[in-house]
Amino acid sequence: MSDKRISFFVFLVLSIFQLNGQECHIQLKGVVQEKGATPLSYANIYIKELKSGVASEENGKYKFNNICPGNYHIVISHIGCESIEYYLSLQKDTTINFELEHHHQLLDEVSIEGIQSYSETQNVKQISLKKIAEMPNENLGNMLENISGVSTINNGNRISKPVVNGMYGNRLLILNNGIAQSGQQWGVDHSPEIDPLSAQSISVIKGVGALEFQGSNLGSVVLVESGKINNDPHLHGHARYFFESNGLSNGVNFQLEQGRESWGWKINTTLKKSGDQNTPDYFLTNTAYEEASASALLEKRWSEKFNSELYFSTFNTNLGILRGSQVGNLTDLQSAFEREEPFFTEDALSFEINPPRQEVNHHLLKLKSKWLLDENRFFDFVVAQQWNFRQEYDVRRSGRSDKPSLSLEQRTQFAEVKYHYFTSSNSKWKLGGQYQGTENINVPETGILPLIPNYISAKWGLFALWSKEYERLSLEGGLRYDFENRRVATISNTFPREVLNYDNNYHNYSFVVGGAYEFQREYHLNYNLGLTSRNPEVNELYSNGLHQGVSGIEEGNPNLVEEQSIKQTLSIEKHLGSKIHLELMTFYQYFQNYIFLNPQEEFRLTIRGAFPVFKYEQTQAEIYGFDLVSSMEFNERWSALLKYSFIQGNDLDNREPIVFLPSNNLRTELNYQIPLKGQWENLELQLNHQSVFEQTHINEDQDFVPPPETYHLIGFKASVARKLGKNKLNATLQINNLFNTVYRDYLNRQRYFADDIGRNITIALNYTF
Amino acid sequence: MMKKINYALLISILVLSFSACEDDDDDVLAPPIPNEEEVITTLRFILTPDSGGQVASFIFQDLDGDGGNIPVITFDTLNANTSYTASVQFLNELENPAEDITVEVKEEDLEHQVFYDTDLSGLTITYLDQDPNGNPLGVDTKAETTSPESGTLTITLRHEPNKDAPGVSNGDITNAGGETDIEVSFPIVVR
Repeated sequence: MSDKRISFFVFLVLSIFQLNGQECHIQLKGVVQEKGATPLSYANIYIKELKSGVASEENGKYKFNNICPGNYHIVISHIGCESIEYYLSLQKDTTINFELEHHHQLLDEVSIEGIQSYSETQNVKQISLKKIAEMPNENLGNMLENISGVSTINNGNRISKPVVNGMYGNRLLILNNGIAQSGQQWGVDHSPEIDPLSAQSISVIKGVGALEFQGSNLGSVVLVESGKINNDPHLHGHARYFFESNGLSNGVNFQLEQGRESWGWKINTTLKKSGDQNTPDYFLTNTAYEEASASALLEKRWSEKFNSELYFSTFNTNLGILRGSQVGNLTDLQSAFEREEPFFTEDALSFEINPPRQEVNHHLLKLKSKWLLDENRFFDFVVAQQWNFRQEYDVRRSGRSDKPSLSLEQRTQFAEVKYHYFTSSNSKWKLGGQYQGTENINVPETGILPLIPNYISAKWGLFALWSKEYERLSLEGGLRYDFENRRVATISNTFPREVLNYDNNYHNYSFVVGGAYEFQREYHLNYNLGLTSRNPEVNELYSNGLHQGVSGIEEGNPNLVEEQSIKQTLSIEKHLGSKIHLELMTFYQYFQNYIFLNPQEEFRLTIRGAFPVFKYEQTQAEIYGFDLVSSMEFNERWSALLKYSFIQGNDLDNREPIVFLPSNNLRTELNYQIPLKGQWENLELQLNHQSVFEQTHINEDQDFVPPPETYHLIGFKASVARKLGKNKLNATLQINNLFNTVYRDYLNRQRYFADDIGRNITIALNYTF
Repeated sequence: MMKKINYALLISILVLSFSACEDDDDDVLAPPIPNEEEVITTLRFILTPDSGGQVASFIFQDLDGDGGNIPVITFDTLNANTSYTASVQFLNELENPAEDITVEVKEEDLEHQVFYDTDLSGLTITYLDQDPNGNPLGVDTKAETTSPESGTLTITLRHEPNKDAPGVSNGDITNAGGETDIEVSFPIVVR
């Protein structure tokens, strides 16, 4: 379909030249290179059907002679590189050059060309398929934590919301296959309803704003992509299984795909079940969960110029929340905090899920079509629909625990047209418009005043992006305008109850400019500047009442205006010799009308006692920090990785720190790999360490209890791959919190009630066929 | 070619038509007002002197529930060296007629306990009622006063306390756990 169709995870195949040949005398040759054009010697090029392989020479060249015409699967592997598989219909003498990603980038996070179609100059990080397969037990948030500068806000280990450069929830855009995830994002105890195992790649743009997307977006974007279907007529796929010792959880994930000239399909399904997790000293009673997800992708090429893909995904979970974390008032919270062990702790593990618990279902249906006008111009059309159902159950009196305390239904419709134009002078234009309609409904008969009001929102947006590549310089710029009309119905909390209606219009303007410069090979500098804005959310405007989870009365403010931010990022990437790779990404974000919950002096008396009052207010604020990543390759076998993230935020009007920003943290890894011959390959051993420092940039009166102390965790990982005929089995053993360290994390809301989880041994198997 | 595009458009329409099964805007913007049957608006603690005489009432009333207007607290004085039979009552006055939540609490007596905590050295409150396990519930109590003094009385209703924890059956809340459904404090004067 053209180079734009190359999937994000498949490595770039440089060029294919076809020469003359004869029957069973066909020659296949080419060069294997490291990404960046260094030839790779001793790379193994293996043709599965022929069960024969050759090694590349000193200059990276390889050659097969006397091959019969036919269809072949070719595997290219090299020590320290992720092996790739390529399907080829061989009819004549053929030259193919392969490019492999070198290991030091894969150790951690890779910058991938494909994703950069979203941004030429912003900092993009990706978790590769290999990494995803190594940690199938993790949810999306926890997987993303592998990227420097990404943390998670948790409620226990099961609910985790990604935080990128301090932005989360309504300030962070999460895209599931190009569609802005639309769910209940307003609370800290709601995690994105996406199964990461359906993804071929998970990426983060740690940038100033990706303006082609509609949705609240104050800088960073998380992308979950299910990838394209390989053009391979044979049935391929993978089967994954994992076991976790902590919680005795089990899970399976299964994928099948098939590609033809004109159509292809892929299905993916995941089942997970877990019992109560445990800290080093006790069980976290009622933290069991179960999850069932599935997705299906159907691609159809109607003609050379028109193709469509239909994507459906469903995510369903039922998860328990620590029983001891449901509190009625401040006294309960205080006594919970003073206890060694939470109330209601049982002596044995259980798979039962009782209230407090959450039941969440999320479905997405999307149809995307691409219409090529010619080589340089094409249109994208997308229509999508999302359904989000969330029910939260609390422990209630008189058998009402079976009745949700909160029951929300959200429906979102989305339509988009994008026009792409590549000019002859290496410029690229992208113009487009979007519509999104959202309807949020409280399902009646919870018997409780809803915290989040009903609303109907309609949002229209237009954008224009431009980018241009010179020899060493890339430039980009973009503009975006959004209009939103939101009609809201709240219920008063004064008596008699009445419905209050609001009708608001919002205008948002955004722009970004950026540049990337390559001083020498492997010495890059990126700079971006962006102005973005976000509309106040319904909870910020209208919530009014007791937020049980946080033991406080939250008061919205209907007069809040748009939050605006200017962010700049500067990143430097440099190789010091061939052994050391350094990357530093710094950012500074300034906010006007930053919306935050400000604790008030007053306490409000209720029949449950006095509660602190938090009001949504606006202020000027700044958030800044840096992410440092460095990898070192001592020799063929030993390598190391270091990541350090620093972040700090200030409320400039009130001269106070901003709460709920990640603690500074340091992660290191020491890797040892043994090249193996024959059936076994890539035995890798890793010792890792993580230090999360105490959040000291916070005032005492900003939280109920002081932030937890610094903690250090040690982990171990071993992985190996084994060829089984044409197929491959990867096995990973991972031990987290090796020494069963007792700790609590600042961003985990469960820290008020219990320690974090203890040692966890995970076994993950990934069978690829 | 055009036929195929039409086919694709047809699918687009199909996808969008899922949105056809939508509620009316009016339904979204005119939500029904929930029936808040679980809310407790009012606590009444009524003490009747065993020897006859004036009944003492302590009332906490928050008619619109949490938030909204501030609660109204009514308090009273007790006589020194007097024995009272006391009972506590919980009401939901959002309902009309008011719903007596005490009934629910008595039905689920295994899962509830009322605690009385005071800094008056001469005031003792003892449980008169029991759940089927022989542990106290605390709706009906006996209150005895000694010398004149003044201070605070805090009444707490706990849901799902651990009644077997040390001290709990004697009315000590420290190890009780569970969730607080009610916690109100009254100024109290003995004269």
